[in-house]
Amino acid sequence: MAESVTSNIREPQPAPVKESRFSELAIAELEEIASHYPERKAACLPALWIAQREYEGYLPPAAIQEVADRLGLSYSEVEGVATFYTMYNLRKRGRHHLEVCTCLTCAVKGAYEVVHKLEKELGVHVGQTTADGEFTLSEAECLDFCGAATVMQVGDKYFTQLTPENVVKVIDELRNSPDYTPAKLADSIVKVLVPGASEQGGGSFSAEDLKNPAGAML
Amino acid sequence: MAIRNLLFEHRLVPGIEEIDVYEKHGGYEGLRKAVTLERQAVIDEVKTSGLRGRGGAGFPTWIKWNGLPKNTDKPHYIICNADEGEPGTYKDRELMLKLPHLLVEGMIIAGYAGLGTAGYIYIRGEYVEPAWQVRKAIDQAYKKGYLGKNILGIEGFNYDLYVHMGAGSYECGEESALMSSLMGERGNPRLKAPHAPLPVHEGVWKSPTLVNNVETYCAATWILKNGGAEYAKLGTERSKGTKIISVSGHIAKPANYEIEMGTPLLELLEAAGGVTGGKLKAVIPGGSSVQIVPADKLAGINLDYESCSANGTLLGSGGFMVFNDTTDIVLLMKRTSEFYMHESCGKCTPCREGTRWLFKILDRITSGSGREGDIEMLLDICSQIDGRSYCGLGDAAAWPIVGAIKAFREEFEYWIAHKRSPVGDHAVPPTPVVVNPLLTLTPA
Repeated sequence: MAESVTSNIREPQPAPVKESRFSELAIAELEEIASHYPERKAACLPALWIAQREYEGYLPPAAIQEVADRLGLSYSEVEGVATFYTMYNLRKRGRHHLEVCTCLTCAVKGAYEVVHKLEKELGVHVGQTTADGEFTLSEAECLDFCGAATVMQVGDKYFTQLTPENVVKVIDELRNSPDYTPAKLADSIVKVLVPGASEQGGGSFSAEDLKNPAGAML
Repeated sequence: MAIRNLLFEHRLVPGIEEIDVYEKHGGYEGLRKAVTLERQAVIDEVKTSGLRGRGGAGFPTWIKWNGLPKNTDKPHYIICNADEGEPGTYKDRELMLKLPHLLVEGMIIAGYAGLGTAGYIYIRGEYVEPAWQVRKAIDQAYKKGYLGKNILGIEGFNYDLYVHMGAGSYECGEESALMSSLMGERGNPRLKAPHAPLPVHEGVWKSPTLVNNVETYCAATWILKNGGAEYAKLGTERSKGTKIISVSGHIAKPANYEIEMGTPLLELLEAAGGVTGGKLKAVIPGGSSVQIVPADKLAGINLDYESCSANGTLLGSGGFMVFNDTTDIVLLMKRTSEFYMHESCGKCTPCREGTRWLFKILDRITSGSGREGDIEMLLDICSQIDGRSYCGLGDAAAWPIVGAIKAFREEFEYWIAHKRSPVGDHAVPPTPVVVNPLLTLTPA
């Protein structure tokens, strides 16, 4: 009995390494965003977005520690927030994180065929990353562009009206493009939060017309 | 009845997302009119219009606005719920993308009427592109003096507007969870009235807080520009004005349609080009949280709050999903329950455990291991979740399953008895799906 009890006790966790990876620009952005709220703690979600960009697309313990330090919060408080939201990556993702919506409308419009095609094409299952670190494949809950089903989010972009045939074209496009990384998504979100930033992020592409961002607008 | 573009009037005008074009088409006239009125008169105008909350619950908007204290002992916060997450709904996406100034203007009007200190537009993390348009619109409104200090030359009318981005959580579309998230916490819901103060008395940072949906603020802009009485001319006795319905699924022309409240459901179905790929089987009229309606019960349902609830479903947020006869209702409900299982925040037991049990039983049935009594067990679990969870997510997880069993019980029985789909091998959504979704959802 005693054994089974002790085996449930968690090993002491190493203290997160203290790192300081926020650039001067990132610190300025954080201070600007924090000034929007009456309490500094409210900048927790934006700060985690900044951290996800500065730490190359995911949040290792050092990133969470840095956010906690910069906002004057405890490590566990920030970790609690980071683990709640699905868009914060606690582990490293591939260079492209393919999130295929398989919720109701997409599911009846063939999202699972798209997922299976991607699994076959990339040689991984949902939840896994390819050996070369290029792609992570995930199912996503509703991305709310149901009229353009099947929808897939990659970085800060939506790809719409996907089929098992045209999704292959999307993959080819992604292999040659640097624009769809998890860090890019975080960067675009941070830029939305800072007034005056002019470079536009986001977009949605019809798979039939990759070069035309307005292609699939409904 | 039928299609009636009020909010969507200018959506196809090129460049309408820019402030100059928007102003040329009557933009910011609503705000200019509002500031010539007493604050109470603005609220009365919204009352006259009969506008009800467009996020799903249909609560009268003016009561919220009127509930804010009339003094400024504490700062007042005006929040827009743009955390659109309901499966089937994408109206807020289009409003923000094409008509961001309609929203910004509505938020400023609410700020004026509600003595707002600052406004926050809480947009879901995935909506980068709509969020960009909104942020750009805010920047432009500051430059024109619609935001900032002494707005439109009115001494003491100071109001700031910010965008706040979520990070992937359906739960944060719930009012109290959204406020938690805005304050930098996990998106857990909080106790509600009568056990806790209303948000209009004590919301974010213990200050009076007004929370409305994107479409509600956009409608308020229209109402202040054209008059509440004009808005109230449209719709039915208790559901006034228009509603944007997002049509998707097996339909010829999926898109957002703005309809007059009370439009017959079948009329919208026809306007959207009718069902594709087979015969019509069922419609979910208000997003995944509401009860499914079989094709033979659709006649007689009008798209307004009262008619929908009288017919055993809800208008909800207007996520109108159409399914043809290749759809397997049991598989559809399994996918629905998976969604709620994934999105339950885990705070209260009925929802955290109940949504998992619902999914496990539906997974068991659709993998050919269904047992006698499973249907009763589903209904029993649903009855234990409904009304017993902290927030509406639990109710929303239970209603569609109860509705589906009521309307399509024979399909559940067929699955349990024959261990295969009553629709055949090509049923959608297909089965088996990706291994076990419990294991395959995105790794943290």
